[in-house]
Amino acid sequence: MERLSRRSFVKIAGAATGAAALASAPPIARAAMGEEGAQPTEATAGVPEEPVVAYVRDAQRGEVTVTSGTAEHTYRDRALVQRLLRAAGRKGVS
Amino acid sequence: MSSHREAPAISQDPVADNADTYAFVSPDDPTTVTIITNYVPLEGPPGGPNFFEFGDDVLYSIFIDNDGDTFPDITYQFRFRTTLQNEDTFLYNTGPIGSLTDPNWNKRQLYSVRKIHSRHNDNHERDGGGDVLAINLACPPCNIGPRSTPDYDDLAAAAVHRLPTGETVFAGQRNDGFFVDLGAIFDLGDIREIQNLHLIPSPAGESVDPLKTLNIHTIAIKVPISKLTRHGSRPSDPASSDAVLGIWGGASRRKVQVRDGHSVKGSGPWVQVSRLGNPLFNEVIVPVGDKDRWNALDPSDDSSFEKYVNQPELAKLLPVLYPGAFPNLAAYSKDRADLHAILLTGIPGGIVPGFQNLTGPKPADMLRLNVAIPPTTKSPNALGVVGGDLAGYPNGRRVFDDVVSIELKAVAGATIPLVDPTFTPDAAVGAVSSYLTPGADRYQSMFPYLGTPHDGFDTPSS
Repeated sequence: MERLSRRSFVKIAGAATGAAALASAPPIARAAMGEEGAQPTEATAGVPEEPVVAYVRDAQRGEVTVTSGTAEHTYRDRALVQRLLRAAGRKGVS
Repeated sequence: MSSHREAPAISQDPVADNADTYAFVSPDDPTTVTIITNYVPLEGPPGGPNFFEFGDDVLYSIFIDNDGDTFPDITYQFRFRTTLQNEDTFLYNTGPIGSLTDPNWNKRQLYSVRKIHSRHNDNHERDGGGDVLAINLACPPCNIGPRSTPDYDDLAAAAVHRLPTGETVFAGQRNDGFFVDLGAIFDLGDIREIQNLHLIPSPAGESVDPLKTLNIHTIAIKVPISKLTRHGSRPSDPASSDAVLGIWGGASRRKVQVRDGHSVKGSGPWVQVSRLGNPLFNEVIVPVGDKDRWNALDPSDDSSFEKYVNQPELAKLLPVLYPGAFPNLAAYSKDRADLHAILLTGIPGGIVPGFQNLTGPKPADMLRLNVAIPPTTKSPNALGVVGGDLAGYPNGRRVFDDVVSIELKAVAGATIPLVDPTFTPDAAVGAVSSYLTPGADRYQSMFPYLGTPHDGFDTPSS
């Protein structure tokens, strides 16, 4: 998964496989996908003091927005959206 | 005061700021209890064109503990929804508002009422559940002026809703019944009448009540007593533990708020941001570093605040601010069992003849109302139990109770002899008072008991 601009994320999302997307995902995305044990992070290195927030911006389009500090990044990752929806206790969208 | 802007976080969030909570046996209907929680403190009446209102994104709650365990057994929840009739005008109203459905009234609020019976020791039943008692109940408009709201009392009366389940509710703007000389008391604990005795003296003056021209937003509910007590009865014996209700108010916001363009949406559970039982508890007893935490917790968590009640900062300040006036108070080093009883457990039987409002040993800040004590309808004393009127604070709290004087006197030592006969209150306790008598327009004799709000045209300077 890569950081996307509004114009570019469609073609990138179309080319990426689920595994490739996961491999390049930031730690917050991996944590949300249940992979946080695979590559543990150091508690003192690069951990933001403020909460890192991921929210499903548009489930139908598979868009997730991650905010950290004053930055915001929007990704298209349908698999992540599905997992987040399942984690939220709601049925995923197809 | 009593809890207007009392903590750092909630002072930035007026629509969720529970400024006062009242609970009393209704004087005109003693088979019922009226509970009032006020929000949006210090409303200046001319504050348009977006006049004051409740928060659509706030969950307002009234909690009742009827078995003394300090957990809510009954919770009433109120949610608001703002509607616009005409998005193409900047006006709150486009003509005189003659009724609650008048098309001239552009921006209006509706609300729902939900009732939850808790069956477990759970403070957090804030996320739905329970029974919806009513939806789309109309609030009255704010009182704007003679051209916009010429018959305001009629509008307010139409906004008193009697529910099929027996409750009567009102939500909207009212006159703020609370009174205190805010400007003096926060100027290093000054009391104008005795400021000649202050550490930084000036000639004695006359107290000023800045709230007498300000409004507030009120959520009021009148409930048959039998719907609130643990066994569904209407107790007649003041000595019975069944007769005592613990009551407090609270406001909660969603855990996450996402702003995206002009859209603002909430997500996650409700998180409490304000609460209020006894007046002035968080304001005067809890130190500033702990005030936000107190607001987020529930009465059942109040054991961690006992130390502030047992050794109140204000009791140590009074002898410093008024040198030589409080020698007995200055020398008193024991824990304040009197304040602990008044604020955290209730007063047990045998201390004040004919009165008790004990909920049990567990410390919790709640108003404690003994519903078996009838209302005082002839010449009630605003000093409540301290003044010999058992129907007033700290037996619940009536809208006109002078809680500033009562609590100042108590902190200054007036109530120590109730639990420690060896203590003699200082003579200066008699001079500790609000020195204010609110005007009759602050209150009314019928539900919701707070008076007509000031209109912005005639009260333009607030």
